[in-house]
Amino acid sequence: MKKSFFKNIFIALVFTFLYLPIIILVIYSFNASKMNVLFTTFTFSWYKTLFYNKDLLEAFFNTLIIAATSTIISTIIGTLSAVGLNKYNFFGKSLILKLIYIPIVIPEIVLGISLLSIYTLTKLELGMFTLILSHIAFSIPFVIVSVRTTISKELNSIEEAAKDLGASPLKTFMLITLPIIKPGVVSGATLALTLSLDDVVISYFTAGPGSNTLPLKIYSMIKTGITPDVNALSTLLLLATIIILTVSTITQSRKVVTK
Amino acid sequence: MKKVIMFIIVLFIVTGCENKSENTLNVLNWSSYIPDEVITSFEKEYNIKVNYGTYSSNEELLAKISSSKEGTYDVIFPSDYMVELMREKGLIEKLDTTKITNLNHLNPLFLGQEYDPNNLYSIPFLSTIVVIAVNRENITDEITSYNDLLNDKYKNNIVFLDDQRIVIGMALLATNHDMNDTSIEALNDAKEWLLKMKKNIKAYDSDSPKTFLITKETDIGVMWNAEAEIAREENENIEIIYPREGHAISIDNYCIASSAKNVENAYLFIDYLMRYESAFDIVAEYPYISPLRIEQKSEVFPGDIFKNGYYVKNIGSRMKDYDKLWADIK
Amino acid sequence: MKKNNLFKAISIIPVIIYSITLILLPLLYIFFLSFQKNDSYGGIIYELTLTNYFTIIDLTYLKVFLKSALIGIITTVLCILISYPFALILKNKSSKVQNLCTKLVMVPFLTNSLIRTYGWIVLLRKNGVINATLQALHITNAPLNLMYNNIGIIIGMTYTLLPFMILPLCSAVFKIDKSLIEAAKDLGASRMQIFKNIIVPESISGVFNGSLMVFIPAIGYFFIADILGGGKEMIIGNLIKNQFLTARNWPLGSAISIFLILITFILVKIYQKLGGKMDDLGGM
Repeated sequence: MKKSFFKNIFIALVFTFLYLPIIILVIYSFNASKMNVLFTTFTFSWYKTLFYNKDLLEAFFNTLIIAATSTIISTIIGTLSAVGLNKYNFFGKSLILKLIYIPIVIPEIVLGISLLSIYTLTKLELGMFTLILSHIAFSIPFVIVSVRTTISKELNSIEEAAKDLGASPLKTFMLITLPIIKPGVVSGATLALTLSLDDVVISYFTAGPGSNTLPLKIYSMIKTGITPDVNALSTLLLLATIIILTVSTITQSRKVVTK
Repeated sequence: MKKVIMFIIVLFIVTGCENKSENTLNVLNWSSYIPDEVITSFEKEYNIKVNYGTYSSNEELLAKISSSKEGTYDVIFPSDYMVELMREKGLIEKLDTTKITNLNHLNPLFLGQEYDPNNLYSIPFLSTIVVIAVNRENITDEITSYNDLLNDKYKNNIVFLDDQRIVIGMALLATNHDMNDTSIEALNDAKEWLLKMKKNIKAYDSDSPKTFLITKETDIGVMWNAEAEIAREENENIEIIYPREGHAISIDNYCIASSAKNVENAYLFIDYLMRYESAFDIVAEYPYISPLRIEQKSEVFPGDIFKNGYYVKNIGSRMKDYDKLWADIK
Repeated sequence: MKKNNLFKAISIIPVIIYSITLILLPLLYIFFLSFQKNDSYGGIIYELTLTNYFTIIDLTYLKVFLKSALIGIITTVLCILISYPFALILKNKSSKVQNLCTKLVMVPFLTNSLIRTYGWIVLLRKNGVINATLQALHITNAPLNLMYNNIGIIIGMTYTLLPFMILPLCSAVFKIDKSLIEAAKDLGASRMQIFKNIIVPESISGVFNGSLMVFIPAIGYFFIADILGGGKEMIIGNLIKNQFLTARNWPLGSAISIFLILITFILVKIYQKLGGKMDDLGGM
């Protein structure tokens, strides 16, 4: 009895550690004082000022655009590549297979500075385009890896059978392969989206004028003094995350039930 | 799901087109320097979208300008010595002063400085000096000199600017050298001094050293005058001290980056900031010393910044030694 | 036949172009840069030299390398110490609780990491929530120095990287066959023996996986060192960032990066030798 009590305390402590900074931010988003030091009076006003903070909103929209675009593109390329790399042999395949792991394992900062160097070398202007390109660069490998986990020997034999029955590769891909690897594609896309939304390091090196992202904006605000409207925005985003997660959990469990 | 994706694609195309609008201006300025409202009212008046980026030291500005494609930025705000260096390196353009109608608002005191004797490349925007801010609630000792900060009592209690030229310059002044000395002996003295100081330094911060004093994270700070004055507005126990050895002067200037794409807008922006009202709004929020003939908000009298003040100077390739020293003491 | 080639082309050509232009060429370019000279204004002088590699074995930089390694190791160990008991306790719970708990670990991870780091400033600073609470409860008399030093950096790193350890470790521990543990218990094995002989061997792959995913970012996340270290505590990430964005010495920054890549490759090789699979690193 006592043992399980201590065990539960440990789990609770871990969650306290994980949630403490977030709870603090949520609390301070209702604090009238601007300095985030003492809690003075309760207010909703930061949620209102948030909608007048042009820079913060612009950074937020930039982040959404970059995340959406890079996720779509990297999911498409990543999925096709995972299937293609599984199906075909070609000259240099083993090199490509090694290269795609590099963005996963090397420190992000190395990828960031090497992309910056190549953009400078090729005189690409830093901005939204380079940001999207860089986000695609670090997302594709995660999509490939995640799709590969759903490619099995059975899939290969089904594809073989479809081919023998005269289906074109594209048709096979759309009608047979894609439905089977769908869970991998979805989790790969989710991963790409989360990585892109939260990326600091690579964006730090590849952003240009007028392409501030939310993490970069918050980074500079932490340095110059954060206003509680950032707390308000984070609280709203947290709420959105929790809602999406809850809904997806409920629909998933429903699917299990109906099955 | 398809609808969502279509929506996102449409959204992207729409915003993508919007971003292409020609009427933009790319500004790169020091952090905490121009209030957002001033930028917003400029945008409204001229219907120009300002892409505003910030940096925390001249070295960071130089790195950004020299590594990005020419024409990425339009208006930049280098300090004195950086103006000279950027001019030598061809990173800034000659100004067409006929396009700046408010030129006559300038106090002649700030013109014709050594770094750009005829103001062909730069026009002063704001100036500042380095001061020591002390929270008298906890520190009662007499402090008049940089050397007083070496006191063992101040362990982990000082915030310094995160600016290599200013901090090394300060160490040189404290050890009886010229602020721009590049000799090995002088730099060794400075290094020794800074290593002795290390235990007292809690943090290096150029973006908002005032926060350290306001939140009482530290009781002492070496910072720009305006930062210290803002801290004093929040806490009246903060005293501002002008160190005996002298102070570093910094005059930040409007410059137009070479191959800037929005030159006309750049002049409009500079001219707008040189209006008396804009300048006043700026110093009301950040009490730096304006080179315009306006009512100053800072307690530092414009003429006084040059008394006992020293410029950081362009030291050319010896910058390497400063870079190395800076890495050593951090 | 033609159609077949078309699909082959659209599934292979993008990944070839991608991996060559966005991975191989950038890395080859910084490898090349690391052997060039710089002109102290940020320009690169195209002249072969080994100077940069001699510079990084200078004491100034070696100290930073050692400190980064130490911070990385401490962070990794802390993550293991938190994650192991966490996974083991959850193992005895229903799968519903397990699912909920792993989801709850993910939630903070899905919010902006900088804003969470900022949350730590509010908690750790001199007059922050933790110090205020400790003093109010008379546990401490004077405020503790919890940030603007290495302690702050380690707290921040452990916090940010913990999910990378908890998740692989949980999935490894949850997979261990319960009947195996039951059988060992019936045969009179002590808890320690069970842990040493069953749990560790069965879950070690998760530990290796997690350690790699914690250690490598921990030596590169300059923003955490920057925010919680007060600009005076540098890790390798800050060193590289400074060479590129303030000291304007790209060749030296490249040389440090190459050194970092080398460390990464050695760690990955060790990971593979120990039986780790590359695909496990990318999955969450």
